[in-house]
Amino acid sequence: MWDTGTSEESLHPRTFVAAVVVLLVAVVLQVSVVARLGAPLGRPDLVLVLLAIIALIEGPMLGAVLGFAVGLVADLLSTHVIGQTALVLCLVGYLVGLVMNAAERSIVVPLAAVGAAAALGTLGHAATTSILGDAALTGGQAIVRAIAAGLYALLVTPFLFPLAAAASRRLHGDRRRV
Amino acid sequence: MGRDTRRSRLVIAALLVLAFTLITLDYRTGDSATGVRGVLHSAVGGVENAVTTVTRPVGRTVSSLTHPNRYHDRADRLGEENAALRRQIADGAEIDRLAGDLSDLRLLADKGQYTIVPARVIAVGDVTGMDWTVTINAGRRDGLAVDKVVVNASGLVGTVASVTDSTAVIKLLCDPTSRIGARLETTQLLGAVAGGQGPSSLTFTLYDASYQVKKGDRLVTFGSLDYVAGVPIGEVTKVVDVGGLSRTAEVRPFVSVGTLDMVGVVIGGPPADPGDRVLPPRPAPAPDAAQPPAGQPSAPAQPDGAQQPAGQPQAGQPQAGQPQGGQAQGGAGVPAAAGAG
Repeated sequence: MWDTGTSEESLHPRTFVAAVVVLLVAVVLQVSVVARLGAPLGRPDLVLVLLAIIALIEGPMLGAVLGFAVGLVADLLSTHVIGQTALVLCLVGYLVGLVMNAAERSIVVPLAAVGAAAALGTLGHAATTSILGDAALTGGQAIVRAIAAGLYALLVTPFLFPLAAAASRRLHGDRRRV
Repeated sequence: MGRDTRRSRLVIAALLVLAFTLITLDYRTGDSATGVRGVLHSAVGGVENAVTTVTRPVGRTVSSLTHPNRYHDRADRLGEENAALRRQIADGAEIDRLAGDLSDLRLLADKGQYTIVPARVIAVGDVTGMDWTVTINAGRRDGLAVDKVVVNASGLVGTVASVTDSTAVIKLLCDPTSRIGARLETTQLLGAVAGGQGPSSLTFTLYDASYQVKKGDRLVTFGSLDYVAGVPIGEVTKVVDVGGLSRTAEVRPFVSVGTLDMVGVVIGGPPADPGDRVLPPRPAPAPDAAQPPAGQPSAPAQPDGAQQPAGQPQAGQPQAGQPQGGQAQGGAGVPAAAGAG
């Protein structure tokens, strides 16, 4: 588990705990603050955006595990079937993590990846909800909301991505010194 | 750096299997994790309540500080004082708004003689944004129970879906699984209002196929053991023909679910059906007009005008071919409403 230099393959406890805390805070902020803002068309999805950013920086493994854990908490806090948000977030975390190498080359890649993650994640939520229960939205509404979530994600990523990257460098740097 | 290695594939496969197992278990058994959900809800409900309490004033402070103040550096003291005063004004406006909301809510409760517990919304929906629910800061300790009706100053909001000690989750009336027994204003005709059409549209299905629902008709709850009667639901905006019979209609709810803040949970109803008196009065009844809704240009299914004398409470009864049996409870309600109004 504790490989030499190529550390990204394993889960670092400190990074993992920090990411879990950030995402749990995001879960509460999402329902208590963001959802009440009444943003036009849809709503920014803080959890999907942060999960995608963390997966871009830390890789598919952490992305998948983190998405699953946070999705499970979100499922337990909701009224729908347990496991559906975990499934969607797990897949989003994994798929976004796959492009982590490309993300270091250009700023366009993280933007596109996070935007796509927010849009596809929202569509995924809508799809699992309509398959496993009663559709909360019609198809058109779901698409509008997915596009809105993607656009909002594009707006906040330039601020959140550098922050997260700096935090990650700091956590990893500290670990190497210890 | 990390990419798609065999191990990460193994992990994702394991997690996906786990997710599908959970979905299957919960889907098949229904309430498999109510205990865990309850504990988590009470824990997070407290945090949500705190976050909402904190973020409301912070938002106001931020808005009061963004006013341009060019001499801030030269007159720090004055600037701070100014900001403090602005904050006070913003607080005052917020308190005024809350007091207004609360008195409107009381007015509705008094009209229907409902016993209500006022509460505020502390969270909207869930993380995915696919649940039509809100969380409020009142719970079992305040006398709430599952299936109680929730109202705000405009009318019906939804029903209580689950309660913890200090929070409760409200299933909004536009939730796809929501079904509420409804009665057409001034008549005793029953139907059901269902959600699933998004936040600003409900579907009303009339049980009696021989009656024509008309645009502008208003709906109140019918009432049962759990649901109190007479709570305004919404107004018919469009009649949908099903096989030539106008039984199904689109209804615009009186409550706008996007801007919910102060709500009241009805924990006790009046001894008698409040009839139609909780509905707001019609804006302009137009006494000699053929149809009750003011300014409605088209009335597609209107055999003759004499049957609809401007929507007075006694006007519902002489409708031809309208069965009167089987609605004894509501039948007692209309005279009561006429006497009280």
